Amino acid sequence: MTAERKVEDITAKRMLINWLGLGLFALLGVAAVVPLFLIIGDVYIKGIDAINRLGGLWHFLTELPPTPVDERGGIGPMLVGTLYMTALGALFGIAVGFPLGVYIGEMRREKFANVARAGVNILVEFPTIVVGLFVYAVMSLAKEDLNKYLLDPLSKALSPLGGWITQFIGPLDGFNAYAGAAALSIIMIPYVALITASAYASIEQPLREAAYAIGGRDFNALFVVLRKAVSRAVVTAALLGTAKIAGETAPLLFTAFGNTYYAPFTGPTGAVSLWIWYAAQTPYDVLIASAYGAAAVLLTIILIIFIVARIRG
Amino acid sequence: MLGFLLVVLLIPYLIAAYGLLFVKLRWGLRLFGAFIVATIGLLTAMFLVEAYPIIARDGVAVFLQTRWDPVRESYGVLQALAGTVLTSAVAMALAMPMALGVAVTINEILPARWRGVFGSLVDLTATMPTVIYGLWGLFVLGPTLQSLVNALAGSTVMTTPYTLFTAGVLLAIMITPYAAAVIREGYSLVPKPVEEAIYAIGATRFEAVLIKLRYVRNYIIGGFFLALGRAMGETVAVAMVVGGNFAKFTTNIFESGITISSLIALQFPNAASYQYMAPALFAAALLLTLFGLAINAVAIYIIQRGQI
Repeated sequence: MTAERKVEDITAKRMLINWLGLGLFALLGVAAVVPLFLIIGDVYIKGIDAINRLGGLWHFLTELPPTPVDERGGIGPMLVGTLYMTALGALFGIAVGFPLGVYIGEMRREKFANVARAGVNILVEFPTIVVGLFVYAVMSLAKEDLNKYLLDPLSKALSPLGGWITQFIGPLDGFNAYAGAAALSIIMIPYVALITASAYASIEQPLREAAYAIGGRDFNALFVVLRKAVSRAVVTAALLGTAKIAGETAPLLFTAFGNTYYAPFTGPTGAVSLWIWYAAQTPYDVLIASAYGAAAVLLTIILIIFIVARIRG
Repeated sequence: MLGFLLVVLLIPYLIAAYGLLFVKLRWGLRLFGAFIVATIGLLTAMFLVEAYPIIARDGVAVFLQTRWDPVRESYGVLQALAGTVLTSAVAMALAMPMALGVAVTINEILPARWRGVFGSLVDLTATMPTVIYGLWGLFVLGPTLQSLVNALAGSTVMTTPYTLFTAGVLLAIMITPYAAAVIREGYSLVPKPVEEAIYAIGATRFEAVLIKLRYVRNYIIGGFFLALGRAMGETVAVAMVVGGNFAKFTTNIFESGITISSLIALQFPNAASYQYMAPALFAAALLLTLFGLAINAVAIYIIQRGQI
């Protein structure tokens, strides 16, 4: 009788610990995502209010930002800058990241592939501000000669095409959209490469042999036949990477620098994230409101890309 | 001239790499591998060169001094180093339990069809722009933490909402998904026979979880180091809430401080007016790079050694 009672006690105690322990883990897990809802809620509540106050959605998306004495304003130049730099950065990031991912995923047995894999692993973790500083250093070394030997003659040669070309091609300033895009692409490359690599690594051996059998050349096997097997993962990787770089701020601080006017991309270029960083730290209510509005716009862009990536993937 | 060659040669290099993909695939792919390795090497070399003036002037002392006084051309990054260590410590202490909670919640507690949704939410936490975290930290988290800490302590421990502690808490939220991702991966790799053996000896669910966590401890340590790397390098969100105190050396986490990356972000725009500030900031970046390399090397080594 007593022995049985004891066993029951122990079991009851263990069950209690079981539920308490699992409950604790669940609580911690939920605690990790609660801030996400708080942030999204905070940004949309204050952001939508701010957009209405600053002149409505269309006005906000196209107009110049407010100065401290303005009542209305928008984020037009920054939005254009963000879209341009993100598009360029993503394009270049995918163009280099995808073949790199194929290399470290498919040629695992090569020694150098392992070196490259370690490099990618390190780069994906790199502090983003360091990447920005690196591009800044290269830019300040290369700018003068680049303008003298390449871009001046090029812009002269292209001038018959019309004035619009000077918006995109011309002598570079120390800060420009292309430096920003370069920094963003360095951040994007390892994202795409790692996901591509794990997608290629997870292809089963028989499928790979079949691909080589019907593809003939290495290139056809890897990029034409097997591409079908991994396309879903790679598209997801590209979209998630794009979402990530669309919101990056630190790498743009010393490369794109920020601008509050519509200006050629060869000079300092604004970005939504840079505007949030700048405006949130000023003491003016109207600028802080515009920072919240900008955050709502940026968050919407990123949420759309993220949801598309999830639905596809 | 060197930089010019670098930028100009990049384009033919990539064209050659693409061309080789069609002709000799393996060599084309190798060129892409070389590209990434060269980028990292170049980055480190560039920082060494740019930081050389201050290292030639002060030697290692630049990392050991606490005085950051541009007017007197005196640059020490020790307080920034201390700030980085303190914020990372707070962040890791809070983030690791949450990361374990995420991994266990997804793999053990949630019903199968909610796992994907919860996993997506965690991934979204990692994808959110850091500047939005900073915005939230500036206007919501900072003031909330200040009143919370002061109410708990019963006196004004935090005189300002923007302290090393605020930065640490914000970092914890931001880096949890990175640690969680590694732990989740390890957790899902626990072999089925092992799991069956655990339940066969009569373990409860919770006891099974503990045993499995011990089984994947290499992944937990690896995730710890990867998240630590993130915490040390995070810039914008930290710079917005850390208080930006360059002047005074502090080890009190409830005071305003500075971290290496936020020092760079906040001071670099002024660097052109001073002779040695830019080299000093490049030296700080070099330090950050070396930390990053070391931490990642450890993390990669541990994860690879412990691959199940």
